[in-house]
Amino acid sequence: MAVASLGIANSNGDIQPGFHSVSETQPLIETTDHGAPHAAVCPYCALLCDDLVIAPKRDLSFTITRNGCRRAGQDYARAPLANTPRIAGREATLEQAIRAAAKLFKRARQPLFGGLATDVDGMRAVIDLAERCGAVLDHAHGEPLAAMARVLQTRGWFATTLSEVRNRADLVLMVGVDLADRYENLARRCLRPAQALDDATLAARRVIYLGSTPPGALVADCESMKCANEALVDVLHALLAALKQQAPAATRVGGLPAARITALADSLRASRYSAIAFAPGRLSAPRDPALALLCEIVDELNRATRAALLPLGGDDGGQTAVSTCAWLTGYPLRIRHGQQIDYQPHSNATAKLLADGSADALLWIDAYGRLGELPAAARLEHSVVLSASDNARAATAAVFIPIGTPGLDHAARLVRTDAVVSLSLPAQRDSGLPAVAPVLRAIEAAL
Amino acid sequence: MSALIKLSGARIYDPANGVDGELRDLYIEDGVLVAPPRDGRKAAQEFDLKGRVIMAGAIDLHTHIGGGKVNIARMMLPEDHAATLVSGDRHPHAGCGHAAPATRTAGYRYAEMGYVACFEPAMLPANARQAHMEMADTPMVDKGAYVLLGNDDFLLRALRDKRSASFVRDYVAWTLNAAQALAIKVVNPGGINAFKFNQRKLDLDEQNSGYGVTPRDILLALANAVRELGVAHPLHIHGCNLGVPGNFETTLDTIKALDGLRAHLTHVQFHSYGTEGDRKFSSGAAQIAEAVNHHKNISLDVGQIMFGRTVTESGDSMRQYAGSAFADPKKWVGMDIECDAGCGVVPFRYRHQNFVNALQWAIGLELFLKVDDPWRIFLTTDHPNGAPFTSYPHLIRLLMDKSFRNDMLATINPEAAAASTLASLDREYSLYEIAILTRAAPARSLGLQGFGSLAVGAPAHITVYRDDEDRQKMFSTPELVFKNGQIIVRDGRVVEEVWGTTHVVHPDYDRSIERELDHYFERYMTVRKDNQRLADDEIRDGGRGALKVHATRPA
Repeated sequence: MAVASLGIANSNGDIQPGFHSVSETQPLIETTDHGAPHAAVCPYCALLCDDLVIAPKRDLSFTITRNGCRRAGQDYARAPLANTPRIAGREATLEQAIRAAAKLFKRARQPLFGGLATDVDGMRAVIDLAERCGAVLDHAHGEPLAAMARVLQTRGWFATTLSEVRNRADLVLMVGVDLADRYENLARRCLRPAQALDDATLAARRVIYLGSTPPGALVADCESMKCANEALVDVLHALLAALKQQAPAATRVGGLPAARITALADSLRASRYSAIAFAPGRLSAPRDPALALLCEIVDELNRATRAALLPLGGDDGGQTAVSTCAWLTGYPLRIRHGQQIDYQPHSNATAKLLADGSADALLWIDAYGRLGELPAAARLEHSVVLSASDNARAATAAVFIPIGTPGLDHAARLVRTDAVVSLSLPAQRDSGLPAVAPVLRAIEAAL
Repeated sequence: MSALIKLSGARIYDPANGVDGELRDLYIEDGVLVAPPRDGRKAAQEFDLKGRVIMAGAIDLHTHIGGGKVNIARMMLPEDHAATLVSGDRHPHAGCGHAAPATRTAGYRYAEMGYVACFEPAMLPANARQAHMEMADTPMVDKGAYVLLGNDDFLLRALRDKRSASFVRDYVAWTLNAAQALAIKVVNPGGINAFKFNQRKLDLDEQNSGYGVTPRDILLALANAVRELGVAHPLHIHGCNLGVPGNFETTLDTIKALDGLRAHLTHVQFHSYGTEGDRKFSSGAAQIAEAVNHHKNISLDVGQIMFGRTVTESGDSMRQYAGSAFADPKKWVGMDIECDAGCGVVPFRYRHQNFVNALQWAIGLELFLKVDDPWRIFLTTDHPNGAPFTSYPHLIRLLMDKSFRNDMLATINPEAAAASTLASLDREYSLYEIAILTRAAPARSLGLQGFGSLAVGAPAHITVYRDDEDRQKMFSTPELVFKNGQIIVRDGRVVEEVWGTTHVVHPDYDRSIERELDHYFERYMTVRKDNQRLADDEIRDGGRGALKVHATRPA
């Protein structure tokens, strides 16, 4: 269909605004029977591509007619949920569901607010409700987010942002990213854009991939250094040693010839501005050694030339949750909120609190409908689920409240992967589904 | 209509209206100051304030309270927060933070010190939305921000291509509108950008290697644009060579380069260093103060340092990279940002026995005491870069109490004390002068009508202090703080959570620049122009926030 065939391969980087491109793209649209195609900001990953053109369909789903990616195409193709809250699987009114949720949180000794796939206003409401209930806060992608926080708190890093990479980098090293899985539009928007501030930089740009899933045709002229993701720590270690002009300790590292790693080090050193893109969520656990090496490599390069990291992560509202929590509470999630804030990033982890049974109530928020089933250890009779997807388990939780998706069913503000840019997304359809914030405010009022 | 309130018997310090310690009654009605009722009408509520000092609510015109680098500092420093947790009993919401407080904690603490308005001085256009969301979540105080230009590739290209002054002016005006800003800030003009091209320093007349443009070119282009647009606050300048020994000459050259154009030099303490002495580090405060005293077009804030732990947060990635060697604890974050600017966040501990730190402390105080005109100097620590804003009462005591100052001077590194002229400076600030520094002058400089003033008709932003010889104690815990006529703080404790107004300017401009900007953003940036722009309703934020658009007076 049109979605898949357009966005991905269309790396010509044509940057005409959405409305201009309507006439060109209309013939390609399968069903545009519910209004004209229009510009949109995609909420479905932390790149927040703001140049999509989407065409509404009769069932309130959308077809992406321009600048989409495979993943966004699937997400936009989902029709909104029926607006039917449930209590223990049985239909209920929103008011009844809110009262039931309040009752559950009021009784709980240790509520856990997990998932947290929402927007800024949703997080503001999450944090206020958590303060009332003494709840722990963790995101569905809490493990990689916490790993990044640890690196920040122990050594820090030198980072860059999407537009900077697009215009400045003459070498981009992608470490362990899987563009076929996510961030596909990084190719069109940053790695191989049609234009950049300096044509010579763009023309000279090399893109080198290191890891287990080379992007193949998704990135034109991408040089591949294929190795298992589990071997990345060894390879990065060897790369750092090569940058420090140390002789290689072995002839092959992670299946790669040492000479290849030395050549990469030489290229990085010769580069005027290199960007190292990585996705913390794609690194094998424990992530800290690889993260520390990436930071050290950039530090080493910055002694004589310029280099910076481009972290790719914080999908499903993850970066939004971290940033909002940090400004409102001082900490990047994994706090227990209440009369005092208790930051325990190790013990305030979703998996741990569910596994050892110390969380006796769960609020699970999945406003993008992409998190899949509830965590297996979650006890349904203790769970309040606010979701844009009615997975089997979710729909039979103690309380299930269908909610809208930020930037589709309601206006929203979201923070991008680089934690610098945030975007304001208007509503795109009238599904009647509520946003997270008002539902949580109502629960708070009913406590 | 709210009932008439009378504040009787206090000594009034209201320099905006020339009132210096007069015993006078104040009346508040409907949130504003009103004249004494002529009909003999009794006040519904009267406060007997004999022995008290009244000033307008205080204004901090340079404090890093919101935006990406502030948030990085928060996340980076759990150790800063652990010792300073604030419970939900103490404040309306639990919080934490000393150098990098949570937004709510910052708002409560400012109010508890009698402040009613705070201005974030380094908002990046690319990060403006987040900065405003953070400020929206900062209760109690009014706020605003100065938007950063001068390292963005758009402006540097325009200057390289010798685009007209009107083009630059339109771009500056568009940026002020799009970012919902109150003024324009420049940080290390061209230097942040040059760092992306691997330049490690950039002097006033040195070319940025990417564009062949000098800091002088950038300063003049922006200062002229701000003047022509008629923005009340002049160009807010964080100059070249921050922290570099010998930089007092750069600062003097910058003042000369401005050639009479109005400008505000910020955290000048960090830009007043000489190279004399065995350690090649000395005070240039006397030369700077002399130049400021002669150049009436220049105002400054000091950026006083205080001893202890803090974190330095700056857009100046070039200088923060250099400073990262001194990070304490050993961690720091640097960023290149969106062809727009950069940032560096470096935790730091100023030590009173360290020669350089001790002399920095003395240099800041020398500036305060040697600049003659209190209307052109503002009381700041460049929160949190010199020290957290909670140290203001201590700083006020240092300025008002010579014997206290000399006691402190006796505790610092003796070589630094000997290298400073501080001991010979007898000046003690009066309450009237403190009211100028912290109220009347910043309000005037920012063009905040009604603020920093106790005139009839002004919004009733009022701080009531118990007069106390110990000025630190006096200024730490005001007895009452009124905002818009409402009591928000009693005895140094927040009693009412209120939400402030955001102050902005919306200068007019030739809309034809939008086409070129559309083109630029679409070709080169990863955000569309219209998606970067903040709508007025985003500031109103569902009704909790409010927007005040201040007039501009084009030249």
